[in-house]
Amino acid sequence: MTQDNPKPETLAAKIGVYICHCGGNISDHVDVETVRRRVEKMPGVAVARTNMFMCSDPGQEMIAEDLKSGTVDRVVVASCAPSLHEKTFRSAIQRAGANPFIYEHANIREQVSCVHHGQAATDKATVLVAAAAAKAGQLKPLTPIRVPALRHATVIGAGAAGLSAARDLADSGIPVTLIEKSSFLGGQLARLDRIAPTGDLAADLVRQLVESVLNHRDITVLTDAEVVGFEGYIGNFKLTVRRGQPAVEPATEPRYIPFSGMQPAGTGADKPGDLTVETGAIVLATGFRSYRPRQGEYGFGDFSPVITLPDLIRKMAERHVPGNMLTIDGRQVRAVAMIHCVGSRQIPGIHPEDENGHLNEYCSRVCCTATLNAADRIRQAYPGTRVYELYRDIRTYGRDQEELYEQAGRNGVVFLRFEAENAPEVLPADPGDGFALKVKVTDTLTFGETLEVPADLVVLATGMEPNDVSDLVEMMKLPVGTDRFLLEVHPKLRPVEMPVAGIFVAGTCQAPFDVGEACNAAGAAAVKAAALLGAGQVELDPFVAEVDVDRCRGTGACIEACLNPGALSLVEMQIDGQTVQRARVTPALCLGCGACVAVCPENAIDVCGMTLRQYEAMVDAIVEN
Amino acid sequence: MTRLSPDFVEEMKRYSHDTALACFNCGTCTAICPLIDEHFPRRMIRYVQIGAKDRILENAPELWKCLHCGLCTQTCPREANPGEIILGLKRMVVAHWRKS
Repeated sequence: MTQDNPKPETLAAKIGVYICHCGGNISDHVDVETVRRRVEKMPGVAVARTNMFMCSDPGQEMIAEDLKSGTVDRVVVASCAPSLHEKTFRSAIQRAGANPFIYEHANIREQVSCVHHGQAATDKATVLVAAAAAKAGQLKPLTPIRVPALRHATVIGAGAAGLSAARDLADSGIPVTLIEKSSFLGGQLARLDRIAPTGDLAADLVRQLVESVLNHRDITVLTDAEVVGFEGYIGNFKLTVRRGQPAVEPATEPRYIPFSGMQPAGTGADKPGDLTVETGAIVLATGFRSYRPRQGEYGFGDFSPVITLPDLIRKMAERHVPGNMLTIDGRQVRAVAMIHCVGSRQIPGIHPEDENGHLNEYCSRVCCTATLNAADRIRQAYPGTRVYELYRDIRTYGRDQEELYEQAGRNGVVFLRFEAENAPEVLPADPGDGFALKVKVTDTLTFGETLEVPADLVVLATGMEPNDVSDLVEMMKLPVGTDRFLLEVHPKLRPVEMPVAGIFVAGTCQAPFDVGEACNAAGAAAVKAAALLGAGQVELDPFVAEVDVDRCRGTGACIEACLNPGALSLVEMQIDGQTVQRARVTPALCLGCGACVAVCPENAIDVCGMTLRQYEAMVDAIVEN
Repeated sequence: MTRLSPDFVEEMKRYSHDTALACFNCGTCTAICPLIDEHFPRRMIRYVQIGAKDRILENAPELWKCLHCGLCTQTCPREANPGEIILGLKRMVVAHWRKS
């Protein structure tokens, strides 16, 4: 396909090659001076220099001086992986007043000195640097793509994270549309009572958060609403939102319904139907649901006194029966057995997969503390009720949470520890026993003895599962982990960012979090979205497809191959007085993948910064060296 | 099979400080104990936690090996006072012996 292409022309580029010792990480294995001497003689190379640390100020300064004096107009740095310092050197070039895209990076650390030694290392480094220099000779200055960005953000999901993100965004001057599937605001937070470790009432937290959102003039709240359509790109998304029939009677003013959440006041505009939201950035705060035990898992569904922790919290909050003993469903509870890690830390071969083949291998993190919190509250409020906790491992991570574990000891909670492969069995009590159930457990704390725990109530500490957002995942092309939670780009370098520019995640849709952590993530997402939209325009890398209109014949092959609908289209234009169809790129939508380049029969399309010609020059250099 | 009997902790209040449930089974007491006897005193304290009175009475002679040096009490991270619990168990065993 490339045989029509002329040989790469030798531009009058003046290439500067800068080779890094990395303090010995490279130079202990690669003879940096030999590489420099070989590269210096290559065509187009004006200077080749070395430095102990190219990323240091003196290293960067060396490049800047050569650019300013006109010695070089293309730059190659041979150092570590581009993920570390490509940006550093592009910025250095920009600071020296040159175009940052006249830069090419050669990785001679991870790809050479980490894995090769001696002569072989020096030779491979030479080849990589030669290829980079050959490409650099063909590089053209590029201009970043600037697209206007709508000063508006959309938050999907109105739990703790969604409400926080909406409020933080609006506080920084960005108008927000908050979309919630149910009729209530507050999410799973509204289904809790006292929050560990501070003892705050969840209802108070929800009320405060929701009031700050409802009273904000820059926030539009849409309840009973779902996103059913998605198009556009960073700064210019278009969402189709479908409003359904509310599940509850409209309220004339906001009202809090315990264990449902806050219902905003209905307005005349709340008619079912589709509406379009044009927005610059999207924060996904779609949250979690509590694991539902299988039929028969620890007796769940078989025996009515086997309930989940969220059930217990609700029953205790809704029907407080004063007395020495806890009363649940009208029955006095003399002893409660609480089983940890239900639906979390599942092990292949030990725990069965669910009907869709999923296994929750992760720790849900919050259940240890939540269970201890419930145990402490039972022991303090109802001293006549005994509490047993059956755990695999216990971890009350986070500030002030260990205190709850200590308190449990002081409150007389008895702990038993089981191994995953030897899980407790929940059985009906023997006739005449007096208790409702018995739990048989092989207790490692009693050196493997099998114990019988008499109980009137068994509470399963169920873990977290992400809500099913497969429709959004499909529409927005979002990455999902094997654990089904949404995957941010990088947990340390780019937290809360999705690879689709302009889309962020916050809260338990990305991992099991406690309320505080969910709100932290929401704050991070809000700040990132606000920073993005604050400038009124967004800058994108220029590594996108470019059509050579002189060569294009309008075959449309590129459009068929394109992975991102809308990035390429055929448009009519006048050429030599004739109306013809030619391909056109919408740069903001182009992923820069190159699928179009591979299929064009006319070689009329290329990806800027990665052109066929540049690659041919690299291949030639590899062959020659 | 031993059945958990939470009332035993109440019974033990007559014989010693009520600290057994503060124990979180770390085993420091056993590691520091100069007797170097398997699981002593950790297992005895565990039996108090779960109310396994029969098991304590079965293994009662173990209790009289204790030198009351106090190292376990000094090092217990939860201040569960293992030394005092062992002393209390001796009192309980003696009381039962008298009764029988």
